[in-house]
Amino acid sequence: MRSKLAGLLAGVSLTFAASVPAMSQELTIFWAEWDPANYLQELANVYEAETGVKVTVETTPWSDFQTKAFTEFNAKGSAYDMVVGDSQWIGAASEAGHYVDLTDFFNQHKLAETMAAATVKYYAEYPANSGKYWSVPAEGDAVGWSYRKDWFEDPKEMEAFKAKYGYDLAPPADFKQLRDIAEFFHRPDEKRYGIAIYTDNSYDALVMGVENAIFSYGGELGDYATYKVDGIINSDQNVKALELYKELYGFTPPGWAKAFFIEDNQAITENLAAMSMNYFAFFPALVNEASNPNAKNTGFFANPAGPNGDQYAALGGQGISIVNYSENKEEAFKFLEWFIKDETQKKWAELGGYTCNKAVLESAEFQNATPYNKAFYDTMFKVKDFWATPEYAELLIAMNQRVYPYVTGDQGTAKEVLDALAGDWNATFKKYNRVK
Amino acid sequence: MAQVRTTGEIAANRVAIAAVLVITLIFLAPIYWIVSTSFKPRNLSTTIPPTVLFTPEVSPFVKLFTKRSQLREQPSPEEYAAAPWWERIVFDGGEKVVRDGKGEVQPSGYPNRFMNSLIVAITSTVLAVSMGTITAYGFSRFRVKGEADLLFFILSTRMLPPVVVAIPMFLMYRAVGLNDTHWGLIILYTAFNLSFSVWLMKGFIDEIPKEYEEAALVDGYTRMQAFFKVVLPEAATGIAATAVFCFITAWNEYAFALIMTNRRAQTAPPFIPSQVGSGLPDWTVIAAGTFLFLLPVAIFTFLLRNHLLRGMSFGAIRK
Amino acid sequence: MATAVMTTLDPKSRAARRGMSDIAIRNLFIIPTILFLIVFNIFPLLYSLGYSFTDFRASSPAPANFVGLQNYRELLNDPFIWSNFAITAKYVIVSVVGQVIVGFGVALLLNRDIPLKGLITTLLLLPMMLSMAVVGLFWKLLYDPSFGVINYALGLGSFEWLSNPDMALYAVAITDIWMWSPFVMLLSLAGLSAVPKHLYEAAAIDRAGTLYTFFRITLPLVAPILMIAIIFRTMEAFKTFDLAYILTSQPTTEVISIRLYKMAFQEWQTGRSCALAYIVLIMILAITNIYVKYLNKVKER
Repeated sequence: MRSKLAGLLAGVSLTFAASVPAMSQELTIFWAEWDPANYLQELANVYEAETGVKVTVETTPWSDFQTKAFTEFNAKGSAYDMVVGDSQWIGAASEAGHYVDLTDFFNQHKLAETMAAATVKYYAEYPANSGKYWSVPAEGDAVGWSYRKDWFEDPKEMEAFKAKYGYDLAPPADFKQLRDIAEFFHRPDEKRYGIAIYTDNSYDALVMGVENAIFSYGGELGDYATYKVDGIINSDQNVKALELYKELYGFTPPGWAKAFFIEDNQAITENLAAMSMNYFAFFPALVNEASNPNAKNTGFFANPAGPNGDQYAALGGQGISIVNYSENKEEAFKFLEWFIKDETQKKWAELGGYTCNKAVLESAEFQNATPYNKAFYDTMFKVKDFWATPEYAELLIAMNQRVYPYVTGDQGTAKEVLDALAGDWNATFKKYNRVK
Repeated sequence: MAQVRTTGEIAANRVAIAAVLVITLIFLAPIYWIVSTSFKPRNLSTTIPPTVLFTPEVSPFVKLFTKRSQLREQPSPEEYAAAPWWERIVFDGGEKVVRDGKGEVQPSGYPNRFMNSLIVAITSTVLAVSMGTITAYGFSRFRVKGEADLLFFILSTRMLPPVVVAIPMFLMYRAVGLNDTHWGLIILYTAFNLSFSVWLMKGFIDEIPKEYEEAALVDGYTRMQAFFKVVLPEAATGIAATAVFCFITAWNEYAFALIMTNRRAQTAPPFIPSQVGSGLPDWTVIAAGTFLFLLPVAIFTFLLRNHLLRGMSFGAIRK
Repeated sequence: MATAVMTTLDPKSRAARRGMSDIAIRNLFIIPTILFLIVFNIFPLLYSLGYSFTDFRASSPAPANFVGLQNYRELLNDPFIWSNFAITAKYVIVSVVGQVIVGFGVALLLNRDIPLKGLITTLLLLPMMLSMAVVGLFWKLLYDPSFGVINYALGLGSFEWLSNPDMALYAVAITDIWMWSPFVMLLSLAGLSAVPKHLYEAAAIDRAGTLYTFFRITLPLVAPILMIAIIFRTMEAFKTFDLAYILTSQPTTEVISIRLYKMAFQEWQTGRSCALAYIVLIMILAITNIYVKYLNKVKER
């Protein structure tokens, strides 16, 4: 025990020693607290070995990532040289001058051609189709699903399922099947539940969860070019999609009203749910037996299709931007130049990062690297995103305020909720003179 | 108490003692749960029925101090065997230690935040208590025009919700560059605690008989000397009690720290929740961080506990 | 307030001629504090009062436009804001009443010869030494319907504390009561120990009943300090942010501080949030004023 303690102390003093900033050139990248940030740190270590420039990746929890970033931006702070920011921030951050314009950099390196189209469109370009770029697509991400293979492949369950629903129990192809399977496995008496979905309304978790249904049902949130929302956000298919999402909430484990990625992964590791919605970036914890006792029995599938065969998923992921108040912009550009090289992108993918580089994504090596990379590749070409206008935060809060009580508290009807939301959004757009 | 007691009184006393014990246990149960979780392996932290007996581990503390990253596959046996014991602990949890380009182990943000907490809480407590004491002395011993109004004004500054103050302070700090600095937080916490400190200290100083100072003045002390040599020692109990309250407040403050600091000056309260894990929850690490964070304030309170209890009764009587 | 104002020394006396004059010392002792509070509390408030009449956004380089009372008008007509206030009021009442009952009750029990009284009292203070944010996080685990200790200990199965919109606010209040009852206990204990023993002895000689003794002797004498505890707890409960923010995100637990935080630092509607901040401020000042008046009345008795 004593030697253990001594070792621990040595480790701690080492860590203290390591935290003393060196006088050499340093760069700080700000991101949210999750594994890709650790992978980026490892990638940055390679950069340090090559150039001697120390790059530190600073993180903060998802729930206050946005607030932290924008307080720092709005304080014109230079604590961060680069930020790996959410796609919906681009409007706000570019219009207010927080991000450095990367259009020339983008064109010079032909990034629009080498990066996957959806990532360029949603992570980098603002306003839509303007040809102006504000960030380099860094971490591609989208929502996918994990499921319990052992539950699905249990012959007794398969038989019972077929008898009840008239088709074979398998990873769902559409939302109707997703609902049936969730209902089928929902057995509160056995402490087993049907499905784990996103419900946290403190940032964008719930909204992204609902988006998965809306987009696959063929719906949209609005016309991003004209800011028209009435008749789009409250369209018939969106009403149906929202109703379905609320129905899914009925098949979640108890206490599922503030669930995001951690809870959803836990639903699989703790034998709570048959299927679980989550971003691909959170799946590594599910394939390692040391962190997921059910790793061998965990499978993955892409977001299912809607009733008309449309199949989309909510976009996650981020691009990396240079902060306008940084005192090390030149060094930051050098880092980005290194980051976009093909071999760096390959290394990035090996470390666990979700590269947006087309060539790497298409390689068999990448697609076979994990049990879920193929599903990821398929999904990344069918993603849609939330509003990216500067007032997106108000739109997001309004959507949380309207949708959350309906989904988790059974208040109102889907139609009422979406009609009211259309009104809120329209009022916001009027306030900022987007519409008359 | 030397009076004769009836059997009924003795029985009532026994019931009261039993009730106190039960209530104490209920109140301490969550604290016990935090402390015990900080020595558990991760898989025992969420079991039902709850795990009460287990072999304590230091793994939560190892994880608390290191930056870690999720592994998709476990390291090879050779790699595992070559690793030092603390790195193996991290491997056992399906993670690896993050190293920088020179191969040095990266610390988590915790030690840094802990230091920031110490700097900010200690400095602001010293400032709030010392300014509070002299101001309370001023109000207690001299005639001040509009005293009641001024005192109410001082108290009212404590009523503002942090979020209300945060907006203008944020804009002011932005203008003068105090965002994300130790001094920025120290000033905020001092201002926040000052009102409380003035009020509490005024009660204590009112209790000290002014004859003491008068005697000192007659003996040839100046007013300043009388204050430092006569009043301050008499007020020690009150100062200790006030310091405990100010320290507890500054040590644990969350909202200002969340809004006003980012990286350089962030204190531990907004940071500990971020240790919840990036793919799966790890309650043991949070518990370890919480437990270590509770220690300084608990020790401080424990050392000053007699002053605190006596000090509160002092302050109470005068009202 | 019984202030012991010391007779100012005769300016011609020897003592006064040595060192600084009393007036100088008084000013030196008082003015810095007042100035400090003005600069860091009052000035920011005036600053934000100005912004509350504009459409300023701290996130945008666009200059602020004067909009008059529009922010106030819109806020007072916003049903969401009113429900935030109603939630806050409910929360303050539940949690302060709970703290007074538990805290004062424990103090009554402790106010006798008990072995290890000092140690027990100190141990009971532990909850209030924790950070609200961390307490919130941990109680989330304790309340968890699947892995929580509370449901297990109470045999509640998978009772939903935080996911049930009707229960969540009470769950937050229970946590707050756990955390802050010790504060009320500490002040009550101080008040109780100050009640002169001879009053109880006299009551015992008159064969007064326990209830009579409590209501006629104990309560009136402890009332002033209990009132102070209530004032402080009410102010703190009204300001509650961290605990509710971390424990749940139910609309039924969105107290006004959370709404304000979102408006100011997520939506960046700086002008409008300054207006809301003022509405909150006026409410707190009004409530505290009523309390302080009542406190003075209690003291006079």
